[in-house]
Amino acid sequence: MIAVAALQILDGLGLVPIAFVNWRPTLYAFLLWSVALGVGQVLQYGEVGKQRLFVLPALLFTAAMVIFPTLFGLNIAFTDWNLNAQSGHHFNGLDNLRTLWGDAYFWNALGNMAFYVATVLVQYAIAFGLAMLLNADIRGRKFFRVAFLLPFMLSPVAVSWMIGKSLMENRFGPLANFARWLGWENPAFFTDPWIARTTIIAMDAWVWIPFMVILLLAGLQALPTDIKEAAKVDGASSWQAFWEITFPLMLPVSLTAIVLRTIFELKLADIVINVTAGGPGGATDTVSSFVFREYRDRSNVGYATMVAEVYLIIIVVFITLLLRATSRYMQKMT
Amino acid sequence: MRVHVYEQLMATQASRRRVMKGTASAVAGLVAGVPATLSPSPSFAADSVVAQIMKIPGAGNGSPTDADWQKVGELCLGPTKKYVQPGEFKGINFSFMGLNNQNLHNFLFRGFLKPWEAYTGTLIKWIDLAQADYNARLQQSIATGTADFDIIEMGAPFEGDMGVKNLLSEMPDWVKKQVDFDDIVDYLKPPVGTWNGKIHRVTIDSDCHTMNRRTDVFTDPGLAKQWADWKDKAGLGTWGPPKTWQQVQQITKFLKGKKVKGKEVYGFLDQPKPWGGFQFYFTASRASSYAKYPGEKNWMFDENMKPLVNNPAWVRAIQDVIDALPYEPADQINADPGTTAFQQFLPGTGSLLEWWGDIGTMAKTSDTATIGDVLDFDILPASDDVYNFRKEKWETLPNGPNVAPNMAYLGWGIYVMKTVDSDPKRHKAAWSAAAHLGGKDLSMWTAAYPSGFQPYRKSHTNLDLWALAGYDKKYIGSYMDSQSTSYNHPNSAIEPRIPGIFQYYSIAEDELQKTFAGKQSAQQGADNVAAAWEKLTNKLGRENQIKYYRIAMGLA
Amino acid sequence: MTTAIGSEATAEEDEVEAGSLAAWIARFGGKTLVYALLILWTVIALFPIYWTLSTSMKLGRDVTQGHLIPWVDFSPAWKGWQSLGLSPDTIFATSNVREEFLKKFVNSVICSFGAAAVAVVLGSLAAYGLSRFEYKFGPWRNRDILFFFISQLILPPVVLALPFLVLYKALALLDTRVGLILVYTLMVLPIVIWVMRDQFDTIPQEMEQAALVDGCSIWGAFVRIVLPMAAPGMVAAFILSLVLCWNEYFFASLLTGFDAQTLPVMVASQTGSQGINWWTIAALATAAITPLLLIGIFLERYIVMGLTAGAGK
Repeated sequence: MIAVAALQILDGLGLVPIAFVNWRPTLYAFLLWSVALGVGQVLQYGEVGKQRLFVLPALLFTAAMVIFPTLFGLNIAFTDWNLNAQSGHHFNGLDNLRTLWGDAYFWNALGNMAFYVATVLVQYAIAFGLAMLLNADIRGRKFFRVAFLLPFMLSPVAVSWMIGKSLMENRFGPLANFARWLGWENPAFFTDPWIARTTIIAMDAWVWIPFMVILLLAGLQALPTDIKEAAKVDGASSWQAFWEITFPLMLPVSLTAIVLRTIFELKLADIVINVTAGGPGGATDTVSSFVFREYRDRSNVGYATMVAEVYLIIIVVFITLLLRATSRYMQKMT
Repeated sequence: MRVHVYEQLMATQASRRRVMKGTASAVAGLVAGVPATLSPSPSFAADSVVAQIMKIPGAGNGSPTDADWQKVGELCLGPTKKYVQPGEFKGINFSFMGLNNQNLHNFLFRGFLKPWEAYTGTLIKWIDLAQADYNARLQQSIATGTADFDIIEMGAPFEGDMGVKNLLSEMPDWVKKQVDFDDIVDYLKPPVGTWNGKIHRVTIDSDCHTMNRRTDVFTDPGLAKQWADWKDKAGLGTWGPPKTWQQVQQITKFLKGKKVKGKEVYGFLDQPKPWGGFQFYFTASRASSYAKYPGEKNWMFDENMKPLVNNPAWVRAIQDVIDALPYEPADQINADPGTTAFQQFLPGTGSLLEWWGDIGTMAKTSDTATIGDVLDFDILPASDDVYNFRKEKWETLPNGPNVAPNMAYLGWGIYVMKTVDSDPKRHKAAWSAAAHLGGKDLSMWTAAYPSGFQPYRKSHTNLDLWALAGYDKKYIGSYMDSQSTSYNHPNSAIEPRIPGIFQYYSIAEDELQKTFAGKQSAQQGADNVAAAWEKLTNKLGRENQIKYYRIAMGLA
Repeated sequence: MTTAIGSEATAEEDEVEAGSLAAWIARFGGKTLVYALLILWTVIALFPIYWTLSTSMKLGRDVTQGHLIPWVDFSPAWKGWQSLGLSPDTIFATSNVREEFLKKFVNSVICSFGAAAVAVVLGSLAAYGLSRFEYKFGPWRNRDILFFFISQLILPPVVLALPFLVLYKALALLDTRVGLILVYTLMVLPIVIWVMRDQFDTIPQEMEQAALVDGCSIWGAFVRIVLPMAAPGMVAAFILSLVLCWNEYFFASLLTGFDAQTLPVMVASQTGSQGINWWTIAALATAAITPLLLIGIFLERYIVMGLTAGAGK
């Protein structure tokens, strides 16, 4: 009861500060309100309230941060807003969707994304292998672990320039020279569409594989030792042991690694923008870098926001399906 | 930092500089023919400010440092002292938004303005932007009202964006006098730098594309012999640098697979990869002498904003790129303007490059460059015929090939925001800072040393001053000749400074990239650009855009 | 610690087991293969980093001629470090660039450590809740809540530019470190939640239940029993978050101007229409990676300590 009263008052306060210099007081009011809500939960619901207290802070924080941008975004997604237009922005219904339907750049980029996302499985396989190696009984484990982690620490801008634009440079890049030594006469990494796509994804994978390795390694370490023992006593070959015991047990962690990696893959933009600008002829373009061009280079914020929202829906559907499929698979396995 | 402290710091290097000076004057004595278009070098007083600053830090003393910038700023305070009392702006502070381009631009301004701040009592807060963020940040802060800067470093193409929203302060007369406005080259005078008749810009830079050429390739006797057997010479009887685009095409084909001193050479270098809108300038430079008819200001659009970009002139330029690409280095399809200049041309790949004036100074001052001694300069190539879009046909002009240098980007300037107008003291302070950066003496220094800025004044043609900085007179004569011929050319091509112009460029880049990769024909690509431009014009408001176009182009 | 002991034990058993010569060969071959693969990947992982580090010591022409080995191919210089005012000969001279670098460095440290810490705290709590209890907020179940968090990660951040500019202007958070920390927390929170939920799922519930029987509250059991066991996972999540925040460029360039600007903005400034300063970008990238590397070395043992502590016994 007390909590509800406090809630009311503070909520009221949240509406008052329009008169203040800025909306900062609202922020403080929200903080207080959140605390009050937490206390109220415990007082009102007891044990259940205490349980809720675990998840409430994160929920309230996320909600507070995204509610305005989400509403604002949805609002401008249905307008013709171009920052350079003198007449400001107007509601234009489904026009943006119609434009999107006929936008060859979007569909081309989406097609490329299908390839990029498909390679996540390869990346996962490599990462799993590396995690197994690191988990093996080896000397210099500490060195290898830190060394494997390093690529993830390099910033995308540095990756684009130091790798894409100098290591792979056709004339002087050491990697190009290496390719020449291997017998590739004229190593042009970004001229043939498929080679360009593969090169881009290789660079991105180089950065992100360590991310998956960490997650998978933590998972491997968490496996109960007695399970590994059981496999050995049964006399199962290590290959069989892996498929029948380790792999199924690693499924939840693997799923997290794949989902997180897929989401980051879907947002791939920096490297593409810097290294190929989507070329040659759109072969490496991604949806994110297309949105980037529309939103920033062309100030076409209404349309770009709509593209992003549609992309969001596509991804949400895709990931939901992915999760469903894997949970069914997991039930079968266990 | 005060001058005397600086003097002490530099004392150790003085002897080195004296040696350099000796060499420079010896070279100057040897060189005879200074290009005819340049005014005979007016002498300068040995103790003048400009003579002093040109020796900071002097050739062979490495890149100028922060201390150098401050010393230059200190020495150039003269004009400011004429208009401003010491400590006059005490208590004033304002923010200055500019680029951080390789720690030049804004970092230079910091150094130049430090003594100014000390003299006037002002405090400046600096906002640095990476070039890639510049356009977006500018548009977004205007749109959301988060534009909280008082002074901005801005390129002329954005004048339309700012002008139509009436965000800029008008230049007071005393600033015009302080920066010696008349000394600025003619093409940067109104309408450029103004909007609707009001002057807004303190010019600190000028931009035009010129042709950079490798002298070792074009004087090679072996190549000359082989050229004699080449079938289609496009009018270039004896081997030498091309004068027309037709010759550029032939030379590029000719040079494929050839070697000079055992090293592979290439001809012209194209830039097919998008570069945040800036790639379009390079296609435009290839097109200008086809598309810009003498006496006609319109060349990208006509006066009703109907795109001209898909007329036969532009299509020919696009086709030229497609034709030349197979004869250029591998992976050229993935080369943006930065790649061609800094990863190819300066380190020694390719023998012809259209670029901004940076190449000329960087070839001498940057340690990436290996071609400083085999480089000369020319205005952009001509074309044997020019397209007359009004009569819709190609014409051969009676007075020879058509020349139309592209003044790509029109240079950086300093602009003061209208927000300072309400307070006379702030107004004067902001304009004084801008005028300091646009000062005549200071500009000579930024033209000669690594700064990111090109010569933009008539007085910059004084080769004796360049020699003080250690430049070889023949080299810099060729350089300044190409620059000033372009600046003063009666048929120079000026871009439309309409609102959203970079959106037009950005869309064009996307379509051109597809075209260069062979996904569509040159005509199809050009038609797509034109269609996209029409759509954009409609979106931004056709009537307004036409009105602004005419203001921007000075069509009245 | 436990890991090391555990695996040593298995290794000994393996050796006993591997009696026959054939098995020994297979084993030895396997070991060789393991090391060969490890070294191969180490080369793949480290070569570009070596290239970056060595580039910070190169003159421009050494970069554009692909020189590789110092003293053999090129003579190393302090070029990149000089341009930052961090080389031996410039370290004591005044330098605007160094001041800017240090300011941005400090901002980077505060923003990324702050955000990673907040995210790990909020995220671990939420993950524990989602792992142990059944929630019902209206029609929302655990799975929906989890999905709500992850979906915040999906939208390309570029379209959040205008909303965040407007929001932050209204809240007076533009160009403040607090503002950046809030955005970064939002950005990495979903990752922390997903990673930590996996970790909590693998910790057997019996231990908390025992504590609850002993009279602990849920929160008491969480702090005293569960947290210590989950610490390695939290460290892993913290490092991942830290790295992501450290390298974040988009919001850093959008929401800051002066006071709160971070390092990636400065790295990006090294390219533009005046070309690229290879040495500066390389020196900046190296300098930016160093603190992360130190953290990595320091915390590495915690990441891989895993949960064997609780799970195995």
